[in-house]
Amino acid sequence: MGASAMSVGRGGRLAFAALRRVVAAVGSVLGATLLLQALVGLAPGDAADLAANDPALRDALSAAWGLDEPLLTRWSRFVLGALGGDLGESLTVRPGASVWSLITAAAGRSSGLVAAALALGLGLALPLGFGGARARRLTLVFSAAPVFLALYAVMTGLNEGAWALIEAGKMERPGWFALPDADSGLRWALGACALAWGSSSLAELQAATADELTRLRRAPFVLAAQARGEPAWPVALRSLLPPLSEVAASQVAVTLGGLIVVERALQLNGAGSLFWQACRLRDLPLACGLAAAAALVVAGARLTSDLTRLWLDPRLREAP
Amino acid sequence: MRLTVAWVAVVLALGLAWGDRALEVVTPLASAGPGWETPLGRDHLGRDVLARLVVGAWSFVAPGALACAAALGLGVPVGAAAGWFGGLVATAQRALTASVESVPTLALVCLGAAIFGPTPLVLGALAGLAWAPRVAEAVRARLESLRQAELVLALEAHGVPPWRVLGHHLLWVGCRGLLARQALTLFAAVLTLETTLSYLGDLGVAEPTPSWGNMLSFEWGIDGNPWAAAAPALTLWAACAALAWLNEPEARRG
Repeated sequence: MGASAMSVGRGGRLAFAALRRVVAAVGSVLGATLLLQALVGLAPGDAADLAANDPALRDALSAAWGLDEPLLTRWSRFVLGALGGDLGESLTVRPGASVWSLITAAAGRSSGLVAAALALGLGLALPLGFGGARARRLTLVFSAAPVFLALYAVMTGLNEGAWALIEAGKMERPGWFALPDADSGLRWALGACALAWGSSSLAELQAATADELTRLRRAPFVLAAQARGEPAWPVALRSLLPPLSEVAASQVAVTLGGLIVVERALQLNGAGSLFWQACRLRDLPLACGLAAAAALVVAGARLTSDLTRLWLDPRLREAP
Repeated sequence: MRLTVAWVAVVLALGLAWGDRALEVVTPLASAGPGWETPLGRDHLGRDVLARLVVGAWSFVAPGALACAAALGLGVPVGAAAGWFGGLVATAQRALTASVESVPTLALVCLGAAIFGPTPLVLGALAGLAWAPRVAEAVRARLESLRQAELVLALEAHGVPPWRVLGHHLLWVGCRGLLARQALTLFAAVLTLETTLSYLGDLGVAEPTPSWGNMLSFEWGIDGNPWAAAAPALTLWAACAALAWLNEPEARRG
Protein backbone atom coordinates (compact mmCIF):
# COMPACT_ATOMS: atom_id res chain seq x y z
CA MET A 1 0.00 0.00 0.00
CA GLY A 2 2.75 2.37 1.09
CA ALA A 3 4.86 1.51 -1.93
CA SER A 4 1.88 2.09 -4.22
CA ALA A 5 1.18 5.54 -2.71
CA MET A 6 4.83 6.44 -3.04
CA SER A 7 4.78 5.31 -6.68
CA VAL A 8 1.66 7.41 -7.38
CA GLY A 9 3.34 10.38 -5.69
CA ARG A 10 6.46 10.01 -7.81
CA GLY A 11 4.36 9.60 -10.98
CA GLY A 12 2.28 12.65 -10.06
CA ARG A 13 5.36 14.78 -9.45
CA LEU A 14 6.83 13.64 -12.76
CA ALA A 15 3.58 14.45 -14.60
CA PHE A 16 3.34 17.87 -12.94
CA ALA A 17 6.97 18.72 -13.73
CA ALA A 18 6.50 17.55 -17.35
CA LEU A 19 3.32 19.63 -17.67
CA ARG A 20 5.18 22.72 -16.45
CA ARG A 21 7.81 22.22 -19.13
CA VAL A 22 5.21 21.68 -21.85
CA VAL A 23 3.50 24.94 -20.83
CA ALA A 24 6.88 26.74 -20.89
CA ALA A 25 7.64 25.38 -24.38
CA VAL A 26 4.23 26.44 -25.74
CA GLY A 27 4.74 29.86 -24.13
CA SER A 28 8.14 30.28 -25.77
CA VAL A 29 6.68 29.49 -29.22
CA LEU A 30 3.84 31.96 -28.64
CA GLY A 31 6.36 34.57 -27.48
CA ALA A 32 8.51 33.98 -30.56
CA THR A 33 5.53 34.44 -32.90
CA LEU A 34 4.62 37.64 -31.04
CA LEU A 35 8.18 38.89 -31.56
CA LEU A 36 7.99 38.11 -35.30
CA GLN A 37 4.65 39.88 -35.66
CA ALA A 38 6.02 42.88 -33.76
CA LEU A 39 8.99 43.00 -36.14
CA VAL A 40 6.67 43.04 -39.17
CA GLY A 41 4.60 45.76 -37.50
CA LEU A 42 7.70 47.92 -37.03
CA ALA A 43 8.42 48.01 -40.79
CA PRO A 44 9.06 51.58 -41.94
CA GLY A 45 5.82 52.96 -43.40
CA ASP A 46 3.88 49.74 -43.74
CA ALA A 47 4.98 46.12 -44.23
CA ALA A 48 2.74 46.03 -47.34
CA ASP A 49 4.84 48.88 -48.85
CA LEU A 50 7.79 46.49 -48.95
CA ALA A 51 5.91 43.97 -51.04
CA ALA A 52 3.87 46.00 -53.54
CA ASN A 53 4.04 49.23 -55.50
CA ASP A 54 0.44 49.13 -56.71
CA PRO A 55 -1.75 51.12 -54.22
CA ALA A 56 -4.72 48.77 -54.67
CA LEU A 57 -2.59 45.70 -53.97
CA ARG A 58 -0.99 47.48 -51.01
CA ASP A 59 -4.39 48.16 -49.48
CA ALA A 60 -5.46 44.56 -50.09
CA LEU A 61 -2.27 43.26 -48.42
CA SER A 62 -2.68 45.63 -45.47
CA ALA A 63 -6.20 44.33 -44.97
CA ALA A 64 -5.18 40.67 -45.39
CA TRP A 65 -2.29 40.99 -42.92
CA GLY A 66 -4.35 43.11 -40.52
CA LEU A 67 -1.67 45.80 -40.43
CA ASP A 68 -4.17 48.40 -39.23
CA GLU A 69 -5.15 46.21 -36.31
CA PRO A 70 -3.43 46.20 -32.91
CA LEU A 71 -0.46 43.86 -32.54
CA LEU A 72 -2.27 41.43 -30.23
CA THR A 73 -5.21 41.06 -32.64
CA ARG A 74 -2.87 40.43 -35.55
CA TRP A 75 -0.84 37.97 -33.50
CA SER A 76 -3.88 36.03 -32.28
CA ARG A 77 -5.09 35.79 -35.89
CA PHE A 78 -1.69 34.43 -36.93
CA VAL A 79 -1.68 31.85 -34.11
CA LEU A 80 -5.26 30.71 -34.78
CA GLY A 81 -4.48 30.48 -38.49
CA ALA A 82 -1.35 28.42 -37.77
CA LEU A 83 -3.35 26.05 -35.56
CA GLY A 84 -5.77 25.55 -38.45
CA GLY A 85 -2.98 25.04 -41.00
CA ASP A 86 -3.53 28.43 -42.63
CA LEU A 87 -0.57 30.84 -42.72
CA GLY A 88 -1.75 32.79 -45.73
CA GLU A 89 -0.39 32.83 -49.27
CA SER A 90 3.08 33.39 -50.63
CA LEU A 91 3.44 36.77 -52.34
CA THR A 92 6.60 36.69 -54.39
CA VAL A 93 8.45 33.38 -54.04
CA ARG A 94 5.55 31.18 -55.31
CA PRO A 95 2.73 33.71 -55.77
CA GLY A 96 -0.60 32.35 -54.60
CA ALA A 97 0.79 29.11 -53.13
CA SER A 98 -0.21 28.18 -49.58
CA VAL A 99 2.54 29.10 -47.11
CA TRP A 100 1.64 26.09 -44.99
CA SER A 101 2.13 23.61 -47.85
CA LEU A 102 5.39 25.30 -48.91
CA ILE A 103 6.74 25.04 -45.35
CA THR A 104 5.74 21.40 -44.82
CA ALA A 105 7.25 20.34 -48.17
CA ALA A 106 10.52 22.24 -47.53
CA ALA A 107 10.75 21.02 -43.91
CA GLY A 108 10.52 17.44 -45.13
CA ARG A 109 13.46 18.00 -47.47
CA SER A 110 15.61 19.69 -44.79
CA SER A 111 14.84 17.51 -41.77
CA GLY A 112 17.26 14.77 -42.85
CA LEU A 113 20.10 17.25 -43.20
CA VAL A 114 19.48 18.73 -39.74
CA ALA A 115 19.17 15.29 -38.12
CA ALA A 116 22.34 14.06 -39.85
CA ALA A 117 24.28 17.17 -38.76
CA LEU A 118 23.20 16.80 -35.11
CA ALA A 119 23.94 13.06 -35.09
CA LEU A 120 27.33 13.66 -36.69
CA GLY A 121 28.15 16.43 -34.19
CA LEU A 122 27.29 14.22 -31.22
CA GLY A 123 29.07 11.25 -32.79
CA LEU A 124 32.27 13.26 -33.19
CA ALA A 125 32.00 15.08 -29.86
CA LEU A 126 31.95 11.89 -27.79
CA PRO A 127 35.34 10.48 -28.92
CA LEU A 128 36.82 14.00 -29.01
CA GLY A 129 35.60 14.47 -25.43
CA PHE A 130 37.99 11.71 -24.36
CA GLY A 131 40.83 13.43 -26.21
CA GLY A 132 41.91 15.78 -23.44
CA ALA A 133 43.19 19.35 -23.64
CA ARG A 134 44.95 19.03 -27.00
CA ALA A 135 41.79 17.75 -28.72
CA ARG A 136 39.86 20.59 -27.09
CA ARG A 137 42.26 23.24 -28.37
CA LEU A 138 42.38 21.80 -31.89
CA THR A 139 38.60 21.51 -32.10
CA LEU A 140 38.20 25.05 -30.78
CA VAL A 141 40.52 26.54 -33.40
CA PHE A 142 39.37 24.53 -36.43
CA SER A 143 35.67 24.56 -35.64
CA ALA A 144 35.69 28.37 -35.22
CA ALA A 145 35.45 28.93 -38.99
CA PRO A 146 31.96 30.07 -40.03
CA VAL A 147 29.89 27.44 -41.88
CA PHE A 148 30.16 29.27 -45.22
CA LEU A 149 33.95 29.52 -44.91
CA ALA A 150 34.29 25.80 -44.16
CA LEU A 151 32.17 25.07 -47.23
CA TYR A 152 34.13 27.55 -49.34
CA ALA A 153 37.45 25.96 -48.37
CA VAL A 154 36.26 22.38 -48.97
CA MET A 155 34.52 23.16 -52.28
CA THR A 156 37.53 25.11 -53.57
CA GLY A 157 39.90 22.31 -52.55
CA LEU A 158 37.74 19.60 -54.16
CA ASN A 159 37.16 21.57 -57.39
CA GLU A 160 40.80 22.58 -57.81
CA GLY A 161 42.11 19.10 -56.93
CA ALA A 162 39.70 17.37 -59.30
CA TRP A 163 40.46 19.86 -62.09
CA ALA A 164 44.21 19.30 -61.70
CA LEU A 165 43.74 15.50 -61.88
CA ILE A 166 41.40 15.77 -64.89
CA GLU A 167 43.87 18.03 -66.72
CA ALA A 168 46.72 15.63 -65.96
CA GLY A 169 44.61 12.77 -67.39
CA LYS A 170 44.66 10.87 -64.10
CA MET A 171 40.92 11.02 -63.50
CA GLU A 172 37.68 11.06 -65.48
CA ARG A 173 35.36 13.97 -64.78
CA PRO A 174 33.49 12.88 -61.60
CA GLY A 175 29.72 13.16 -61.34
CA TRP A 176 29.87 15.82 -58.63
CA PHE A 177 32.21 18.15 -60.58
CA ALA A 178 32.03 21.12 -60.33
CA LEU A 179 30.63 21.96 -56.91
CA PRO A 180 28.10 23.35 -56.14
CA ASP A 181 26.47 23.36 -59.60
CA ALA A 182 26.39 19.60 -60.29
CA ASP A 183 23.57 17.72 -58.58
CA SER A 184 25.06 14.98 -56.39
CA GLY A 185 24.85 13.36 -52.97
CA LEU A 186 28.22 14.89 -52.12
CA ARG A 187 26.60 18.32 -51.73
CA TRP A 188 24.24 16.91 -49.11
CA ALA A 189 27.10 15.15 -47.27
CA LEU A 190 29.21 18.32 -47.34
CA GLY A 191 26.25 20.27 -45.98
CA ALA A 192 25.81 17.88 -43.05
CA CYS A 193 29.56 17.98 -42.26
CA ALA A 194 29.71 21.79 -42.44
CA LEU A 195 26.65 22.13 -40.17
CA ALA A 196 28.15 19.72 -37.63
CA TRP A 197 31.60 21.28 -37.79
CA GLY A 198 31.38 25.01 -38.48
CA SER A 199 30.63 28.14 -36.43
CA SER A 200 32.02 26.49 -33.25
CA SER A 201 29.20 23.91 -33.15
CA LEU A 202 31.56 20.99 -32.73
CA ALA A 203 33.74 22.90 -30.23
CA GLU A 204 30.71 23.55 -28.00
CA LEU A 205 29.57 19.94 -28.11
CA GLN A 206 33.10 18.69 -27.52
CA ALA A 207 33.70 21.07 -24.59
CA ALA A 208 30.41 20.09 -22.94
CA THR A 209 31.17 16.38 -23.40
CA ALA A 210 34.71 16.76 -22.04
CA ASP A 211 33.48 18.71 -18.99
CA GLU A 212 30.83 16.09 -18.22
CA LEU A 213 33.33 13.26 -18.62
CA THR A 214 35.73 15.01 -16.23
CA ARG A 215 32.91 15.48 -13.71
CA LEU A 216 31.85 11.84 -14.05
CA ARG A 217 35.39 10.52 -13.60
CA ARG A 218 35.46 12.20 -10.17
CA ALA A 219 31.87 11.35 -9.22
CA PRO A 220 31.57 9.36 -5.98
CA PHE A 221 29.45 6.60 -7.57
CA VAL A 222 32.09 6.05 -10.30
CA LEU A 223 34.92 5.99 -7.74
CA ALA A 224 32.92 3.60 -5.54
CA ALA A 225 32.22 1.27 -8.48
CA GLN A 226 35.89 1.34 -9.45
CA ALA A 227 36.92 0.55 -5.86
CA ARG A 228 34.60 -2.46 -5.91
CA GLY A 229 36.06 -3.54 -9.25
CA GLU A 230 32.73 -3.15 -11.04
CA PRO A 231 32.29 -1.52 -14.46
CA ALA A 232 31.24 2.09 -13.87
CA TRP A 233 30.74 3.15 -17.48
CA PRO A 234 27.20 1.84 -18.06
CA VAL A 235 25.95 4.12 -15.27
CA ALA A 236 28.34 6.90 -16.26
CA LEU A 237 27.10 6.89 -19.85
CA ARG A 238 23.51 7.03 -18.61
CA SER A 239 24.49 10.07 -16.53
CA LEU A 240 26.07 11.61 -19.60
CA LEU A 241 22.81 11.51 -21.52
CA PRO A 242 20.91 14.36 -19.75
CA PRO A 243 23.66 17.02 -20.12
CA LEU A 244 24.39 15.90 -23.70
CA SER A 245 20.74 16.13 -24.65
CA GLU A 246 20.69 19.67 -23.21
CA VAL A 247 23.72 20.72 -25.28
CA ALA A 248 22.33 19.04 -28.41
CA ALA A 249 19.03 20.89 -27.93
CA SER A 250 20.89 24.19 -27.57
CA GLN A 251 22.63 23.42 -30.89
CA VAL A 252 19.34 23.01 -32.77
CA ALA A 253 18.84 26.78 -33.16
CA VAL A 254 22.44 27.19 -34.39
CA THR A 255 21.97 24.28 -36.84
CA LEU A 256 18.74 25.73 -38.20
CA GLY A 257 20.50 29.08 -38.72
CA GLY A 258 23.35 27.26 -40.46
CA LEU A 259 20.81 25.47 -42.67
CA ILE A 260 20.08 28.81 -44.39
CA VAL A 261 23.78 29.16 -45.23
CA VAL A 262 24.36 25.56 -46.29
CA GLU A 263 21.32 25.29 -48.55
CA ARG A 264 22.01 28.64 -50.16
CA ALA A 265 25.75 28.01 -50.68
CA LEU A 266 25.26 24.44 -51.96
CA GLN A 267 22.13 25.27 -53.95
CA LEU A 268 20.09 22.66 -52.07
CA ASN A 269 16.34 22.88 -52.12
CA GLY A 270 14.90 23.04 -48.61
CA ALA A 271 13.56 25.21 -45.81
CA GLY A 272 16.81 27.22 -45.47
CA SER A 273 16.98 28.23 -49.13
CA LEU A 274 13.23 28.94 -49.12
CA PHE A 275 13.67 31.26 -46.13
CA TRP A 276 16.54 33.03 -47.87
CA GLN A 277 14.45 33.53 -51.00
CA ALA A 278 11.53 34.77 -48.92
CA CYS A 279 13.73 37.38 -47.21
CA ARG A 280 15.43 38.40 -50.45
CA LEU A 281 12.09 38.84 -52.25
CA ARG A 282 10.40 40.28 -49.14
CA ASP A 283 7.77 37.57 -49.01
CA LEU A 284 6.91 38.36 -45.39
CA PRO A 285 4.12 35.78 -44.82
CA LEU A 286 6.44 33.00 -45.98
CA ALA A 287 9.46 34.33 -44.06
CA CYS A 288 7.44 34.77 -40.85
CA GLY A 289 5.88 31.33 -41.26
CA LEU A 290 9.28 29.69 -41.68
CA ALA A 291 10.76 31.58 -38.71
CA ALA A 292 7.78 30.51 -36.58
CA ALA A 293 8.30 26.91 -37.74
CA ALA A 294 11.96 27.17 -36.72
CA ALA A 295 10.87 28.45 -33.29
CA LEU A 296 8.54 25.46 -32.98
CA VAL A 297 11.35 23.03 -33.81
CA VAL A 298 13.75 24.70 -31.35
CA ALA A 299 11.14 24.70 -28.57
CA GLY A 300 10.30 21.07 -29.38
CA ALA A 301 13.96 20.07 -29.15
CA ARG A 302 14.33 21.91 -25.85
CA LEU A 303 11.20 20.24 -24.49
CA THR A 304 12.43 16.80 -25.54
CA SER A 305 15.73 17.46 -23.80
CA ASP A 306 13.95 18.72 -20.66
CA LEU A 307 11.70 15.67 -20.53
CA THR A 308 14.69 13.36 -21.02
CA ARG A 309 16.52 15.04 -18.16
CA LEU A 310 13.39 14.92 -16.02
CA TRP A 311 12.99 11.21 -16.70
CA LEU A 312 16.62 10.39 -15.91
CA ASP A 313 17.36 12.84 -13.08
CA PRO A 314 15.02 12.49 -10.08
CA ARG A 315 16.40 15.67 -8.46
CA LEU A 316 14.74 17.79 -11.14
CA ARG A 317 11.29 16.39 -10.27
CA GLU A 318 11.65 17.67 -6.72
CA ALA A 319 12.86 21.13 -7.79
CA PRO A 320 10.42 23.96 -7.11
CA MET B 1 47.04 42.12 -24.55
CA ARG B 2 48.03 45.78 -24.92
CA LEU B 3 49.98 44.90 -28.06
CA THR B 4 46.89 43.21 -29.52
CA VAL B 5 44.71 46.23 -28.73
CA ALA B 6 47.30 48.58 -30.30
CA TRP B 7 47.51 46.37 -33.39
CA VAL B 8 43.72 46.32 -33.80
CA ALA B 9 43.61 50.12 -33.32
CA VAL B 10 46.23 50.63 -36.04
CA VAL B 11 44.30 48.37 -38.46
CA LEU B 12 41.05 50.23 -37.78
CA ALA B 13 42.74 53.64 -38.19
CA LEU B 14 44.20 52.46 -41.50
CA GLY B 15 40.71 51.31 -42.47
CA LEU B 16 39.47 54.88 -42.04
CA ALA B 17 42.39 56.31 -44.00
CA TRP B 18 42.29 53.83 -46.90
CA GLY B 19 38.61 54.23 -47.82
CA ASP B 20 39.32 55.61 -51.32
CA ARG B 21 42.24 53.28 -51.95
CA ALA B 22 40.01 50.25 -51.35
CA LEU B 23 37.54 51.39 -54.01
CA GLU B 24 40.04 52.48 -56.69
CA VAL B 25 39.60 50.30 -59.82
CA VAL B 26 42.75 49.81 -61.95
CA THR B 27 41.55 47.51 -64.74
CA PRO B 28 44.93 47.07 -66.49
CA LEU B 29 46.34 45.59 -63.25
CA ALA B 30 43.40 43.16 -62.71
CA SER B 31 44.39 40.03 -60.70
CA ALA B 32 48.02 41.24 -60.45
CA GLY B 33 50.12 39.34 -57.92
CA PRO B 34 51.73 40.77 -54.77
CA GLY B 35 54.20 43.62 -55.18
CA TRP B 36 55.71 46.54 -53.25
CA GLU B 37 52.68 48.80 -53.66
CA THR B 38 50.11 46.08 -53.06
CA PRO B 39 51.56 43.41 -50.73
CA LEU B 40 48.57 41.09 -51.28
CA GLY B 41 48.12 41.91 -54.97
CA ARG B 42 44.93 43.06 -56.67
CA ASP B 43 41.47 41.54 -57.21
CA HIS B 44 39.97 40.95 -60.64
CA LEU B 45 38.95 44.59 -60.93
CA GLY B 46 42.47 45.71 -60.07
CA ARG B 47 41.63 46.91 -56.53
CA ASP B 48 44.19 46.67 -53.72
CA VAL B 49 43.40 43.49 -51.72
CA LEU B 50 45.18 44.64 -48.54
CA ALA B 51 43.33 47.97 -48.53
CA ARG B 52 40.01 46.17 -49.02
CA LEU B 53 40.86 43.71 -46.25
CA VAL B 54 41.66 46.53 -43.80
CA VAL B 55 38.66 48.68 -44.76
CA GLY B 56 36.43 45.56 -44.72
CA ALA B 57 37.12 45.16 -40.98
CA TRP B 58 34.84 48.15 -40.34
CA SER B 59 31.91 46.24 -41.84
CA PHE B 60 31.72 44.08 -38.70
CA VAL B 61 33.47 46.27 -36.11
CA ALA B 62 30.81 49.01 -36.24
CA PRO B 63 27.77 46.69 -36.02
CA GLY B 64 29.65 44.54 -33.48
CA ALA B 65 30.19 47.51 -31.18
CA LEU B 66 26.56 48.59 -31.60
CA ALA B 67 25.33 45.06 -30.86
CA CYS B 68 27.44 44.86 -27.69
CA ALA B 69 26.15 48.24 -26.50
CA ALA B 70 22.52 47.24 -27.20
CA ALA B 71 22.83 43.77 -25.64
CA LEU B 72 24.55 45.02 -22.47
CA GLY B 73 22.36 48.14 -22.23
CA LEU B 74 19.17 46.07 -22.36
CA GLY B 75 20.30 42.77 -20.86
CA VAL B 76 22.09 43.99 -17.73
CA PRO B 77 19.17 46.00 -16.23
CA VAL B 78 16.67 43.22 -17.01
CA GLY B 79 18.97 40.51 -15.63
CA ALA B 80 19.79 42.61 -12.56
CA ALA B 81 16.09 43.19 -11.83
CA ALA B 82 15.34 39.46 -12.28
CA GLY B 83 18.26 38.41 -10.09
CA TRP B 84 17.58 40.99 -7.38
CA PHE B 85 13.79 40.74 -7.11
CA GLY B 86 13.32 37.10 -8.22
CA GLY B 87 9.75 35.74 -8.27
CA LEU B 88 7.55 36.96 -11.09
CA VAL B 89 10.23 39.27 -12.54
CA ALA B 90 12.62 36.32 -12.89
CA THR B 91 9.87 34.14 -14.39
CA ALA B 92 9.04 36.84 -16.95
CA GLN B 93 12.73 37.27 -17.80
CA ARG B 94 13.15 33.52 -18.31
CA ALA B 95 10.08 33.38 -20.55
CA LEU B 96 11.38 36.31 -22.62
CA THR B 97 14.77 34.63 -23.00
CA ALA B 98 13.20 31.33 -24.08
CA SER B 99 11.02 33.13 -26.65
CA VAL B 100 13.83 35.12 -28.25
CA GLU B 101 16.24 32.17 -28.21
CA SER B 102 13.67 30.04 -30.05
CA VAL B 103 14.21 32.00 -33.25
CA PRO B 104 17.67 31.36 -34.79
CA THR B 105 19.67 34.62 -34.69
CA LEU B 106 20.55 34.39 -38.39
CA ALA B 107 16.86 34.02 -39.29
CA LEU B 108 15.97 37.03 -37.14
CA VAL B 109 18.70 39.14 -38.73
CA CYS B 110 17.71 38.06 -42.28
CA LEU B 111 14.08 38.92 -41.58
CA GLY B 112 15.14 42.27 -40.11
CA ALA B 113 17.31 42.99 -43.14
CA ALA B 114 14.34 42.19 -45.42
CA ILE B 115 12.07 44.53 -43.48
CA PHE B 116 14.37 47.42 -42.56
CA GLY B 117 17.04 47.08 -45.25
CA PRO B 118 20.49 45.46 -45.08
CA THR B 119 22.41 48.16 -43.21
CA PRO B 120 25.10 47.80 -40.52
CA LEU B 121 22.77 49.62 -38.11
CA VAL B 122 20.03 47.00 -38.60
CA LEU B 123 22.52 44.14 -38.26
CA GLY B 124 24.02 45.56 -35.06
CA ALA B 125 20.67 46.48 -33.50
CA LEU B 126 19.02 43.12 -34.25
CA ALA B 127 22.02 41.09 -33.14
CA GLY B 128 22.08 43.14 -29.93
CA LEU B 129 18.35 42.62 -29.38
CA ALA B 130 18.67 38.89 -30.04
CA TRP B 131 21.58 38.63 -27.59
CA ALA B 132 20.18 40.84 -24.79
CA PRO B 133 18.06 38.02 -23.25
CA ARG B 134 21.17 35.80 -23.05
CA VAL B 135 23.01 38.56 -21.21
CA ALA B 136 20.00 38.99 -18.91
CA GLU B 137 19.92 35.24 -18.25
CA ALA B 138 23.64 35.12 -17.44
CA VAL B 139 23.38 38.15 -15.11
CA ARG B 140 20.31 36.72 -13.34
CA ALA B 141 21.99 33.36 -12.79
CA ARG B 142 25.13 35.04 -11.40
CA LEU B 143 23.16 37.38 -9.12
CA GLU B 144 21.03 34.54 -7.79
CA SER B 145 24.18 32.76 -6.66
CA LEU B 146 25.86 35.93 -5.34
CA ARG B 147 22.75 37.23 -3.58
CA GLN B 148 23.10 34.66 -0.79
CA ALA B 149 26.87 35.13 -0.40
CA GLU B 150 28.12 36.04 3.08
CA LEU B 151 29.71 39.20 1.71
CA VAL B 152 26.31 40.52 0.56
CA LEU B 153 24.65 39.64 3.86
CA ALA B 154 27.50 41.41 5.68
CA LEU B 155 27.20 44.49 3.47
CA GLU B 156 23.45 44.66 4.13
CA ALA B 157 24.04 44.20 7.84
CA HIS B 158 26.50 47.11 7.77
CA GLY B 159 23.83 49.33 6.26
CA VAL B 160 25.31 49.64 2.77
CA PRO B 161 22.47 50.91 0.55
CA PRO B 162 20.92 48.24 -1.74
CA TRP B 163 21.68 50.21 -4.92
CA ARG B 164 25.37 50.20 -4.02
CA VAL B 165 25.35 46.49 -3.19
CA LEU B 166 23.68 45.74 -6.52
CA GLY B 167 25.47 48.27 -8.71
CA HIS B 168 29.00 48.05 -7.34
CA HIS B 169 29.48 44.80 -5.45
CA LEU B 170 27.23 42.49 -7.45
CA LEU B 171 27.23 43.90 -10.98
CA TRP B 172 30.58 45.67 -11.29
CA VAL B 173 32.74 43.39 -9.15
CA GLY B 174 30.77 40.16 -9.52
CA CYS B 175 29.69 40.29 -13.15
CA ARG B 176 32.22 42.32 -15.13
CA GLY B 177 34.24 39.27 -16.23
CA LEU B 178 31.03 37.53 -17.24
CA LEU B 179 29.89 40.59 -19.19
CA ALA B 180 33.23 40.89 -20.97
CA ARG B 181 32.88 37.27 -22.02
CA GLN B 182 29.34 37.80 -23.23
CA ALA B 183 30.45 40.86 -25.23
CA LEU B 184 33.29 38.90 -26.81
CA THR B 185 30.95 36.05 -27.75
CA LEU B 186 28.49 38.50 -29.27
CA PHE B 187 31.24 40.27 -31.19
CA ALA B 188 32.35 36.92 -32.66
CA ALA B 189 28.71 36.16 -33.54
CA VAL B 190 28.36 39.51 -35.35
CA LEU B 191 31.59 38.84 -37.25
CA THR B 192 30.14 35.50 -38.40
CA LEU B 193 26.72 37.00 -39.18
CA GLU B 194 28.08 39.93 -41.19
CA THR B 195 30.54 37.93 -43.26
CA THR B 196 27.94 35.20 -43.86
CA LEU B 197 25.31 37.64 -45.11
CA SER B 198 27.85 39.47 -47.28
CA TYR B 199 29.09 36.17 -48.73
CA LEU B 200 25.59 34.98 -49.56
CA GLY B 201 24.74 38.37 -51.10
CA ASP B 202 21.56 40.49 -51.22
CA LEU B 203 21.13 40.91 -47.45
CA GLY B 204 24.71 41.83 -46.50
CA VAL B 205 27.31 44.46 -47.38
CA ALA B 206 27.05 45.01 -51.13
CA GLU B 207 29.85 45.67 -53.62
CA PRO B 208 31.79 47.92 -54.01
CA THR B 209 31.91 48.43 -50.21
CA PRO B 210 34.39 45.80 -48.98
CA SER B 211 33.57 43.08 -46.47
CA TRP B 212 35.57 39.89 -45.90
CA GLY B 213 32.47 37.93 -46.93
CA ASN B 214 31.80 39.70 -50.22
CA MET B 215 35.54 39.66 -51.07
CA LEU B 216 35.41 35.87 -50.95
CA SER B 217 32.20 35.65 -52.91
CA PHE B 218 33.50 38.10 -55.54
CA GLU B 219 36.59 35.98 -56.23
CA TRP B 220 34.79 32.60 -56.36
CA GLY B 221 36.02 30.54 -59.32
CA ILE B 222 38.33 33.26 -60.67
CA ASP B 223 41.92 32.34 -61.53
CA GLY B 224 44.68 34.92 -61.15
CA ASN B 225 45.87 36.28 -57.82
CA PRO B 226 45.21 33.51 -55.25
CA TRP B 227 45.65 35.99 -52.39
CA ALA B 228 42.52 37.86 -53.44
CA ALA B 229 40.46 34.99 -51.97
CA ALA B 230 43.00 33.40 -49.61
CA ALA B 231 43.70 36.63 -47.67
CA PRO B 232 40.09 37.29 -46.54
CA ALA B 233 39.51 33.55 -45.92
CA LEU B 234 42.61 33.17 -43.71
CA THR B 235 42.02 36.48 -41.92
CA LEU B 236 38.42 35.59 -41.17
CA TRP B 237 39.34 32.14 -39.87
CA ALA B 238 42.17 33.59 -37.77
CA ALA B 239 39.88 36.28 -36.32
CA CYS B 240 37.16 33.72 -35.45
CA ALA B 241 39.71 31.34 -33.93
CA ALA B 242 41.33 34.16 -31.92
CA LEU B 243 37.99 35.31 -30.53
CA ALA B 244 37.03 31.72 -29.65
CA TRP B 245 40.43 31.22 -28.01
CA LEU B 246 40.15 34.42 -25.97
CA ASN B 247 36.73 33.34 -24.80
CA GLU B 248 37.74 29.87 -23.71
CA PRO B 249 39.95 30.07 -20.60
CA GLU B 250 39.69 26.29 -20.11
CA ALA B 251 41.36 25.64 -23.48
CA ARG B 252 44.05 28.27 -22.86
CA ARG B 253 44.91 26.72 -19.52
CA GLY B 254 45.05 23.30 -21.20
